[in-house]
Amino acid sequence: MESRININVERDEKYSVLKESFHNAPYKLTHYGAPRAQAHLEMIIMSASPGIMDGDRLTINVDMKAGAHMKLHTQSFNKVHPAKTGSFQDTFVNLNENCILHYVPHPITPFKGSIFKAENKIEMEASSTLIWGDILAAGRIYMNEAFLFNKVHMRTTLFRDNKLIFTDNQCLKSAEQPVSDMLFFEGYTHQATFIYSSPYAAGMKQEMDEILAGEYEDISFGFTDAGEDTILLRALGDNGELLYNFLSMLGQMCWEYTQHRQASIVAEENTQNKADEESEVIDETLSSTKKKSVVARKRQKRSNAA
Amino acid sequence: MHNSATTKTYAKRMLRYNMYYNDAAFFTKAWQLCDGKFSKVKMLSLDRLISSFKSPYEIRQASKKLAIRFLKVVDGFGAVRRCKSYFEAIQTGEAGGHYPIAFAMYAHSQGISYEDALSAFYYNTLNGIVTNCAKLVPISQMDGQQILFDLQGLIQELVNSQADMDEDMLGNCCVAQDMRCMQHEKLYTRIYIS
Repeated sequence: MESRININVERDEKYSVLKESFHNAPYKLTHYGAPRAQAHLEMIIMSASPGIMDGDRLTINVDMKAGAHMKLHTQSFNKVHPAKTGSFQDTFVNLNENCILHYVPHPITPFKGSIFKAENKIEMEASSTLIWGDILAAGRIYMNEAFLFNKVHMRTTLFRDNKLIFTDNQCLKSAEQPVSDMLFFEGYTHQATFIYSSPYAAGMKQEMDEILAGEYEDISFGFTDAGEDTILLRALGDNGELLYNFLSMLGQMCWEYTQHRQASIVAEENTQNKADEESEVIDETLSSTKKKSVVARKRQKRSNAA
Repeated sequence: MHNSATTKTYAKRMLRYNMYYNDAAFFTKAWQLCDGKFSKVKMLSLDRLISSFKSPYEIRQASKKLAIRFLKVVDGFGAVRRCKSYFEAIQTGEAGGHYPIAFAMYAHSQGISYEDALSAFYYNTLNGIVTNCAKLVPISQMDGQQILFDLQGLIQELVNSQADMDEDMLGNCCVAQDMRCMQHEKLYTRIYIS
């Protein structure tokens, strides 16, 4: 079954609002809570299907206009059913200037004999921020189906200002690779990847160096400066819910940090504009000769600032 | 990894599941570039692609350092225009710098066969893994030599099938290995390059 979800977000004054959107069965896209309950947009993708069936293809398109902020949620674990040909999920994201997108979906659970291919492509302006997560389970652990999927292939490519800056390619074939063992899951049953790509990445990295200095009992994780204003974190654990909460916590931290940094820049610009307006009022009261010199000085100041 | 047997498993897997889809595959891409219509633009785009795959900071830095050192050494043997241009691009920041490209370009210019060059490339990496393991696991020098000897067959097998590698698998990531590379950044005692 071919399904599609289109999400268009725009900034309307203080609020980020949903513009034309589209979804078809078995998916549903709706507001998460009351719209305009907060300045940013909160949406949730829901599904009436018990999971992704053989031959299913879901395409998600997210387009965000300048200054739009959105948190996109999912409803439950993404269950991938046994397949002969395979099931697919493609996600395309486009972020214009100064956008923030937070997308940390629930874990993917590939059933015994499943074939799943996920392709994520993100194109963003350098002033935008992406907070992105994905979690993969080894299968239905309590059904004794760990690592019995056929093939799971997930690829994420990230472009900033049309430049390829990050590629994550993971193709797991349980029959051909020792997926449960050394190099791969190392005896754990879940893996998580978290990306923070933002002009504020260097500052966030410092925060993370402090906050994540300790070790956790139930999960093993590492994070790094992946270059080009991007932080990458990878984690392994035995509990999907726990990893989901961990990534959500990180996501929230990054979200608040980004909003704070963005707001302080906007505030700075406002003070600058206000100062300029005031000096213009003064200009009008000055004599024409004096005025010229002030304007010239102001121009000089602006060009210096630029 | 705690003894010679597990070290051997680790080395085998690193070659088969990591190197094969990453550095050795990048080496092959660079080689093909030299074989065909070489251009600086194509070289830089391959360099960018490799940078996008090598996410852990230290792995990226190591690749760059090795490339720079290798290019400096071979420059002393006689100038190769492509290598020089790559070196300059790394210095100016135009390129990230990755040793599979540097190694492939120089070997190609010296009229060495693809199979020989790639075998040497694999062996060199294996040697690096074994040397580190000899110090860290630790394993004895004799066991280290034995692993180097025993894995010759595997290297041959990988070299023979390298050109037929599934393109979809290019840059395939081994998640735990990747994570351990990131954790290494924070360790008190770390592996050094001398």
